[in-house]
Amino acid sequence: MPQKLDELSMARRAASELQPGQLVALGSGLPARVAEVAPPRAPLQLLSDSGALGYRPSTAGLAAVGPSLTGPDGVPVALAEGGSVVGTADWAAMLRGGHVDVAVVQPARVTASGDLIGWTTAATPGLFAPGRTVDLAAGARKVIAMLPHTGSDGSPNILADSSPVADGRACVDIIITDIAVIRVEEGGLVLAEVAPGWSYDDVAALTGASLSCADDLKEIAPSLEALNAEPPGKVYPDAPSAIRDIADGATVMIDGFGGPGGMAHYLLVSLRDQGTRGLTIISNTIGIARSVNFGTPPGKLAIDHSILVDNGQVAKAIASYPVSPSMSNPSSFELAYRRNEVELELVPQGTLAERLRAGGAGIYAFYTPTGVGTLIAEGKESRVIDGKEYILEEGLRADYCLIRGHKADTMGNVVYKGTSRNFNAVMAPSARITIVEVDEVVEPGQLDPELIVTPGIYVDRLVVRPRDFSPYE
Amino acid sequence: MAQGKVYSSAKAALADVQDGSTILVSGFAGYGVAWSLLDALVEVGSKDLTVIYRDGPLPEGTGARLPAINNLVTNGLVTKLISPLPFLPGNGGAIEERWLSGDLQIEILPQGILVERLRAGGAGIGGVFLPTALGTRFEGDKERRAFAQGEAVLELPLKADYALIRVAAADTLGNSIYDGSGRNWAPIMAMAARVTIAETGRIVEPGELDPEAIISPGIFVNRIVAAE
Repeated sequence: MPQKLDELSMARRAASELQPGQLVALGSGLPARVAEVAPPRAPLQLLSDSGALGYRPSTAGLAAVGPSLTGPDGVPVALAEGGSVVGTADWAAMLRGGHVDVAVVQPARVTASGDLIGWTTAATPGLFAPGRTVDLAAGARKVIAMLPHTGSDGSPNILADSSPVADGRACVDIIITDIAVIRVEEGGLVLAEVAPGWSYDDVAALTGASLSCADDLKEIAPSLEALNAEPPGKVYPDAPSAIRDIADGATVMIDGFGGPGGMAHYLLVSLRDQGTRGLTIISNTIGIARSVNFGTPPGKLAIDHSILVDNGQVAKAIASYPVSPSMSNPSSFELAYRRNEVELELVPQGTLAERLRAGGAGIYAFYTPTGVGTLIAEGKESRVIDGKEYILEEGLRADYCLIRGHKADTMGNVVYKGTSRNFNAVMAPSARITIVEVDEVVEPGQLDPELIVTPGIYVDRLVVRPRDFSPYE
Repeated sequence: MAQGKVYSSAKAALADVQDGSTILVSGFAGYGVAWSLLDALVEVGSKDLTVIYRDGPLPEGTGARLPAINNLVTNGLVTKLISPLPFLPGNGGAIEERWLSGDLQIEILPQGILVERLRAGGAGIGGVFLPTALGTRFEGDKERRAFAQGEAVLELPLKADYALIRVAAADTLGNSIYDGSGRNWAPIMAMAARVTIAETGRIVEPGELDPEAIISPGIFVNRIVAAE
């Protein structure tokens, strides 16, 4: 038989499946080796459940940016510039929330329908301990399976039938072995590439499932050059260009607490000037700073959501504080509500934060005790769990999220300042497009990776608030 | 005057651990493991423990690559483990032996489900609908329900009596920061336990840590000990 590919050659073939700008979660074993072959400076964010986001092997020649880190196999790694440190819950939320483009896993076995059994599951008979495998298989948009084509006894690792201990169902998109690249398609397995010297017949003979042959069967010869292409930049020249595609009827999250601080005023003003209508706004208040002018200089008005309401752009608010604290100075939204021009869904503040987190973290719904026995509970499922009553609340997602950061690097990693952090950490992951207004944009590597609150994977666009911009008008 | 949060020793911080307690142990591949607390827990000798952890393989060159809780198990103090991967396959040691002989129960959970169940426990959430377990053996007879995004499975919260975590630095109020991979499960475990005990190489006065950098606020950290 011709020679099989070695592990690094397999890793190179797996890496060639990736695209610049992607977030890629690596499992242990063969997948961990993808980090070794990924071009050190390619704009590829590798993620490990050890808490390393944006890492490379410690041997990659990067300046060791940041702290003591390990990869998925317990081998020390270094953060690339623009990398950050996350916890296990963040890792899980990235996967479950649909933020991970590709997961690379090493199954012991894969089936014709794309089911997989992780290597640790197979190696712990009776216990069937999957470690991270179930999360990787269920969460990523694309799953690459890397494994030897056959076991040490020559028996096939690619099988026709599934097993009750499968760690993932119909999840594998492509199988990379030491002799072949096989696509998992609806109609079954398709041999796309073979290792040098191997034929379709050779591979089919070692495969335990029916295997068709691609019309353009190729030899495995990966190139990683395309990985170095820079993805589109995140820094926009100004707020109008960053919000231009917000269309009528969009759902928009807006950060902020109560007063005028911690709000993306520059983006808000641009959204008003753009005139987009029929908006659903998800926010803590729906504009109360302007009605009472907390801390506002004399003769000025605070900029907040009210400017959108006054301009007739808001159809609905999902908010915790829709009314002014002053009876004599009602907010614009209150007045519009009394005129029956806007709808309101009232959400307690803590429930709002939790619904936002759920939306971004792939939690479809949750039971919370907040609001039990109040008007908030009306129309919602109530349930007693372990002797305590809860109501069911669903995750919230939006088309856009407009938030106020302090500093960001060009990869979108953001730090906040003081109470301007407020809802940002839970909003940023919950929108399709997240736009952050900051005071300053710096180069990757200039923010302390331990201090990054919102990793760049959650941020799509950045705008610098002009120095002479005033949050009052 | 009430005792502050800083205890004189790991053993003193663990003195009230009763038999039958449930204990969370942070750590990933030997990073962020509260070794002094684990050693002291063996000395304290509380029995019938349930331990929840995800240690992962220890780095190359650390000998047997056994999980951090191996000593607890070897000393017969553990009745049950809850873990996504209780030992590295091929290096099961005492954990695998006792499980095979029926002296140790092991409940296996995928790690993303386990960490979210702990977060739910710590955040007062009664349950979460997650898609992760769908169609796998981990779905079991749990409730399945359809939502706008698709089907999901009800996962219930997990709480514990103690969490033993390792932090890079803590102030005397318990505010804590981590170092690299040492963060792992600790911030979540700190929320999910009735009593969280943090071991650290650096105890500082309040005000010395950057308030923007604190990952675990002191409200989640009840006791602090210097690493021994």
